[in-house]
Amino acid sequence: MDSTFTEEQTMLRKSTADFLVEKYPEAKVREIEESDTGHDPEIWRGMAELGWMGLVIPEEYEGMGMTFQDLSIVLEEMGRNIAPGPFFCTVLEGAYPILDAGSEEQKKEFLPKIANGELIFTLALLEADGIYDASGIAVKAVPKGDDFVINGTKLFVEQAINADYMIVVTRTREGASPEDGVTLFIVDAKTPGIHCEVIPTIGMEKLCEVSFKDVAIPKKNILGELDKGWPILSKVMERAAIAKASESLGAMDGIVPMTTDYLKDRVQYDEPLAQFQALQHIMADMFISLTTSKYLVYEAVWMESEGLPCAKEVAMAKAYVNQNYKELSRLMIRLYGANGTHREFKPGLYYRRAKAASIAFGDTGFQRERIARAIGLVS
Amino acid sequence: MDFKLSEEEEKRRKEFLDGCKELAKEKPEDFIEGIEADFETKNQPYVTRCRKEFAKRGWLRLGWPAEYGGVGSHMDRVFFGEARGYYGLPGVDIFGIEMLAPTLLAMGNKEVKDRYLPGIGNGDTTWCELYSEPNAGSDLAALTATAIRKGDEYVINGQKTWTTNAHNADWGFGLFRTDPQGRKRRNISFLLMDMKTPGITIKPLEYLNRMHMYNEVFYDDVHIPADQIIGEENQGWTVSQALVNFERSNVLAVSAVRRMLETLVEYCNETKVGGKPLAQDSVIRNKLAEMATEIEASRTVAYYIADQQNRNQMAALFESSAAKVFIGDIFERLGALGSDILGSYGQVSASRWARQRGIWESLYQTAFVLTISMGTNEIQKNIIAWYGLNMPRPLSPVSIEKALAAAQAAK
Ligand SMILES: Cc1cc2nc3c(=O)[nH]c(=O)nc-3n(C[C@H](O)[C@H](O)[C@H](O)COP(=O)(O)OP(=O)(O)OC[C@H]3O[C@@H](n4cnc5c(N)ncnc54)[C@H](O)[C@@H]3O)c2cc1C
Ligand SMILES: Cc1cc2nc3c(=O)[nH]c(=O)nc-3n(C[C@H](O)[C@H](O)[C@H](O)COP(=O)(O)OP(=O)(O)OC[C@H]3O[C@@H](n4cnc5c(N)ncnc54)[C@H](O)[C@@H]3O)c2cc1C
Repeated sequence: MDSTFTEEQTMLRKSTADFLVEKYPEAKVREIEESDTGHDPEIWRGMAELGWMGLVIPEEYEGMGMTFQDLSIVLEEMGRNIAPGPFFCTVLEGAYPILDAGSEEQKKEFLPKIANGELIFTLALLEADGIYDASGIAVKAVPKGDDFVINGTKLFVEQAINADYMIVVTRTREGASPEDGVTLFIVDAKTPGIHCEVIPTIGMEKLCEVSFKDVAIPKKNILGELDKGWPILSKVMERAAIAKASESLGAMDGIVPMTTDYLKDRVQYDEPLAQFQALQHIMADMFISLTTSKYLVYEAVWMESEGLPCAKEVAMAKAYVNQNYKELSRLMIRLYGANGTHREFKPGLYYRRAKAASIAFGDTGFQRERIARAIGLVS
Repeated sequence: MDFKLSEEEEKRRKEFLDGCKELAKEKPEDFIEGIEADFETKNQPYVTRCRKEFAKRGWLRLGWPAEYGGVGSHMDRVFFGEARGYYGLPGVDIFGIEMLAPTLLAMGNKEVKDRYLPGIGNGDTTWCELYSEPNAGSDLAALTATAIRKGDEYVINGQKTWTTNAHNADWGFGLFRTDPQGRKRRNISFLLMDMKTPGITIKPLEYLNRMHMYNEVFYDDVHIPADQIIGEENQGWTVSQALVNFERSNVLAVSAVRRMLETLVEYCNETKVGGKPLAQDSVIRNKLAEMATEIEASRTVAYYIADQQNRNQMAALFESSAAKVFIGDIFERLGALGSDILGSYGQVSASRWARQRGIWESLYQTAFVLTISMGTNEIQKNIIAWYGLNMPRPLSPVSIEKALAAAQAAK
């Protein structure tokens, strides 16, 4: 066992942090958040130059061929800086599914362009139920000649307004189980009949409603096999869940020192607030939440990175971080007093994002049910 | 960051697990379970059986230097703790093995080490810790029991309390005031004593569940040889604070709760209420999943601390305070959760009416062993805030008064 990061990883963390601190000062984060697109093409180009979108893409497809564990370091730093934009959806919801299940032709077509920052991807998965379960997939794709025709509405599609392509999860057959008969399509976002609209949400990440009206997609754009998309998606969701946990962990790792510093600076009753034991114990509790979250996440990240079966560990890490990120940001607001409640201060940014992050790729109830099964409770 | 144990480590880990599994088969029917099982009088024959077996295998000397018969590495201590915790085995005298031996190795001179380490490592002598007094708990430096040097001896008077296992232990180590005039922490010495020395009286104290775990210890002109001191006279505070070589991962407690959760899962699968297994109750599923998650989190932190300590003994100090608070809280909450899930049976003590041998009624009461002894959870939080997060220590009303008076005087 080795509980330390490699020298290369420490350097990666530092260079990532340097870039993000420079490019995503708080004012910039807010500007992007408030903008219509939620995306800054200039920062995006900078990230492409550093090779981030291609970090985990193999070198043969013009990526850097690094590991998921390396990627998680970048995600932690993005979480710490609350960096908005289409990075997460492009890499976790676009590049990875193609890497996992794409044909050689699809890989050659899309991966180099993702790595170079030319293409933004996203995943159109959730529907009206808002659940990460195959039973929620109702949008139909019906064969017609060399095409499939998609009709229906997807919800909470991250950054769909900026996407060049989306992977659309459809129902192509009413199978024996809900998992049977799900098909994934790589869809050009400019295909006629697609309409995107931003849903107002607490985290302002530009989660969209995407409606499909007689959208014709060539059969060759199926990702993986017809009717057999669910296992691909399961893996993608598992990886995205732990990636989201890494991002959240980075934010939590930012909250603790930031709040400590605030308490050291702010004077009331002639003393820095940090002097009051009531607040010290809250900070200690926050440190404990952070510490215990860290290694649970690191273990799951490592397993994912090594390709070990880790459904239970991922569910645990996601469930735990869901709760702890919300809790830490809640306490951060409390310890900042009225400043914490002001839109212009940092705590609220974390608090709003924590809510969104806790929902993405499985909220706590969803994950705990998976854990319950994994620890052997009969259902 | 890599959680994979080396082949060699996996092999060692399995040796400990297999060894403990074998020994667990000999556990008597009426064995009283729990991390405090070592101290229970009824358990003593099996406690001794385990201790002797461990000694034979060298497992009481893990990580010690070779000259004292040491075998294995720091990680072996961790694996052994994990295995013992999982199979609920007694037989490792926490005071001798986990506390005194590391202290002697770090602070003792050769003579002292030669005299005491073999007995500890062979499982021949067991120990107790004589720190707390009625008016010195968290604020240990407020202790008042005295040990006054007279010729070649120290003469001890005063009282200790909450002394776990004093009724079984052969020897004790403790802190005593060797110079009544000196300042709070500056005149304390670290002394060792045979618990059969004339003038020592041990009176049992009853724990919540009636078990005999701890005691009061009274000293009435107790003479002990002066060479039974560790470190210099009046330097005992420093000796007692030596953190070097302590195993701080709490892995034993972690694997103990892991095992308990497994038994609770089995219980929920097997037990029907209203025709439906408890395991199908969505609230129970949610709660057990949450608990399993927290236990896994504490396991990963334990392994992090173990690996850090394996590299550098003084590493991960604040993480280990965090880990201790966390696992202590888990004990208390698991005791409550388990006994809640048992419904009416959650109140039944070990008896023919009990379910799960009464372990939940027991844990509900014994969980405080972790949250109060060895630095309460609140004291651990102080440590995290003051030293881990560098927050200023709060001023006590007394020191504020003093500061104001001094400012006034300066004017
Ligand atoms: C929604 C809202 C509406 C408001 N409306 C009004 C209004 O109409 N008029 C008005 O005058 N004010 C108003 N306020 C201000 C409010 O009275 C203050 O926010 C409040 O007194 C706390 O002060 P603070 O925000 O400066 O926090 P601080 O005093 O800086 O406190 C920060 C943190 O430290 C803690 N803390 C402070 N001192 C101690 C201590 N001695 N021991 C332990 N913990 C301590 C606090 O509990 C808090 O968690 C409003 C605030 C809010 C959030
Ligand atoms: C099961 C058990 C076994 C024990 N075995 C031994 C043994 O073998 N040998 C031995 O010497 N002692 C032993 N002890 C005693 C143990 O070390 C003390 O109980 C412990 O140090 C706390 O002291 P106290 O009980 O006097 O509580 P107090 O110090 O009186 O504390 C009472 C409460 O106040 C809190 N508190 C105290 N100071 C602060 C502070 N500065 N800031 C915030 N909160 C504070 C505490 O956390 C606690 O909640 C044992 C105790 C128990 C419960």
